[in-house]
Amino acid sequence: MSARQMKLGLFLWATGHHIAAWRHPDAHVTAGIDIDHYIRLARTAEAAKFDMIFCEDAAGLREANVQIASQTSRSIGFEPISLLSALAAQTERIGLVSTASTSYNEPYGLARMFASLDNLSGGRAGWNLVTSASPIEAANFGSTGLRPHADRYERAREFATVVTSLWRRKAAGHDGQSFSVRDPLDIPRSPQGAPVMVQAGASDDGKDLAARTADVVFSAAQTFEEAKAFYDDLKSRLAAYCRQPDDVKIMPGVAPIVAATKAEAQAKYDALQELIPDDVGVALLSSYLSISDLWRYPIDGPLPELPESQGMKSRQALVIEQARRDGLSIRELARYFAGARGHWRVVGTAEQIADALQERFEGGAADGFNVMPSWFPGELDAFARLVVPELQRRGLFRKDYEGRTLRDHLGLKRPV
Amino acid sequence: MHLAVSLNIASAPGQASLAFAEIASLVRKAEAAGVDMVVISDAGDERSSSPFEATTLLAALATVTERIGLVAGASTLAHQPYNLARRFASLDIISHGRTGWNATLAQNPREAANFSRPEGLSDDDFRRRAQEFIGIVQGLWRGWDADALLFDRAAGRFHDPEKMHLLDHKGQFFSVRGPLNVARSPQDTPVLVMSGLAEADLDFGAKVADAVLIEAEGAKTAYDDLKRRAVAAGREPETMKVLMTVGVNELTVGELEGWFNTKSCDGFNFALPADLSVFDHVDNRVLPELRRRGLARSAHYGPTLRGHLGLGAGGEK
Repeated sequence: MSARQMKLGLFLWATGHHIAAWRHPDAHVTAGIDIDHYIRLARTAEAAKFDMIFCEDAAGLREANVQIASQTSRSIGFEPISLLSALAAQTERIGLVSTASTSYNEPYGLARMFASLDNLSGGRAGWNLVTSASPIEAANFGSTGLRPHADRYERAREFATVVTSLWRRKAAGHDGQSFSVRDPLDIPRSPQGAPVMVQAGASDDGKDLAARTADVVFSAAQTFEEAKAFYDDLKSRLAAYCRQPDDVKIMPGVAPIVAATKAEAQAKYDALQELIPDDVGVALLSSYLSISDLWRYPIDGPLPELPESQGMKSRQALVIEQARRDGLSIRELARYFAGARGHWRVVGTAEQIADALQERFEGGAADGFNVMPSWFPGELDAFARLVVPELQRRGLFRKDYEGRTLRDHLGLKRPV
Repeated sequence: MHLAVSLNIASAPGQASLAFAEIASLVRKAEAAGVDMVVISDAGDERSSSPFEATTLLAALATVTERIGLVAGASTLAHQPYNLARRFASLDIISHGRTGWNATLAQNPREAANFSRPEGLSDDDFRRRAQEFIGIVQGLWRGWDADALLFDRAAGRFHDPEKMHLLDHKGQFFSVRGPLNVARSPQDTPVLVMSGLAEADLDFGAKVADAVLIEAEGAKTAYDDLKRRAVAAGREPETMKVLMTVGVNELTVGELEGWFNTKSCDGFNFALPADLSVFDHVDNRVLPELRRRGLARSAHYGPTLRGHLGLGAGGEK
């Protein structure tokens, strides 16, 4: 390989990343109970030479209001480690990355699960570390309240240290603040040495933890400037941990809508937006802002002043910034946000989408992208059929896999 | 009679660990032979050298098999009940209703020290904690009614919120609100298999287990005892299957027939050693003879593990 090429992840989520995806006539509405659907998606992504599949996760419902939850497809789905283990047996090359929480697992158990997935897949596994900010999840684990942000990250740091030591068969024995482990891991190393470490937290604590431990960072950025600022910030933190800029791949999310013409793509997007019920859009926005009473404010008025929450600090800042910049009402912001959850939305032809990706990739704002199709399977198929060949034609993306492991695909060193 | 094969994936000292292809080949052979289920152990008392953990292995096996039941061991100390309930509920959907959890109330002495409990747990605490854990898992599995999912695009109703139930469990060791974020199993709930039950565990096992694995020694007494306790717990005795675990080398078909006919068990669990070629003896000699005598069937009954085992639905709601 000569020129630098971008990395592509396929971000799987329920019936699609758009909140109303499941109502779209071309979406597979029974995705959450159909393993064959996921096998098809994985094979599509593998045929398109994606670096990896990525599964988000939460150990609980996404929405506390049961009426709101019942109007979305996100209350049921596969537990991702079992899903990816199944996909490991049905694919050959593509990376398999699952989210798992440092708040509701023990490092020895989590290290075993991912080591097993790594072996089942011949060295294609990755772990996306999350600290879990949702009180709905906390209630499933005997907690009455969330831990403060800083505490969760302290636990996460210790957790990550223990897990990576176990994977690398470093000297056994850990006796720390939150965890103790006596034995080395009882599962042999995979062909890639250890699963890939992924992170997505964009707060100051999150970025620091990523700089210390992550191989891949998923991020959310609307504009080129935001993406570039995040990219530069994170890469500049690496030297403090004796790491090179290339040791970490930064992959912002992108939510594309692609069609043969710009007008056609816009029409696809508008039709999807029309399927969002107002109460669902507002509820989704409320949950990302970690405030429960957003519905009390006039829906056509501006976003109220908000206190800083213990939840997703960075995400909240992003949403508020968005509303102020564009002078959006609650309804407008809710719809806009529901479409891509604060990620970058690009609507256009394959050439236009490739242009947009190329600009950020070559402008030093991304090493690749985590692709978030609005509904499955249609919008993944469209991206694979239209955008991937355009990227390949420009020499920006691989035409075939060169290695067998996820570390091979990403150009990461095998850990010692 | 019901037939199971149990597989210890941890290799014996000096032996290479089993690769996925070898395990998959064994499970497919057992499937072709009409065996009801394969029981895969997880880390036991000895350190495992398998490249796999049992539940993840099971997910992969589910995609390369079609009929056979797949049961994995998983420790109540190594998991949180909510997470483990999700794992098995998900495996059950992946396998189209062929999954079971092999739970034990006996403690693996190595485990506590690796799960941030250097002081360990007393056997009694472990037992009570495991009982509470199992109750939570079974409760979470029943959180969605069978007809809860509507998929009504036009009306915007994905599911019926009245048919999704909170668990709201608050116990000595855990509090879990629920509901599970995985749909109801195609067989209502995954099958609960229990093994290694001590005297103190029998009432609990007879109340909650769908299948119990017992040792050959004293089997008749244990069988009668378990069935009596199941009836005392308000169950029909045939809703809990008791399988006798037998080694493969020493057995004869006559002995199996004798045990079965004297009602010492509802069937057998063949415990395979690390050398899987031993299964060929079962496949080529034992099973054909059992079939010839009308004791074993040649095909599975229903598409689900509950169907194979002749178990009713996993419970209302």
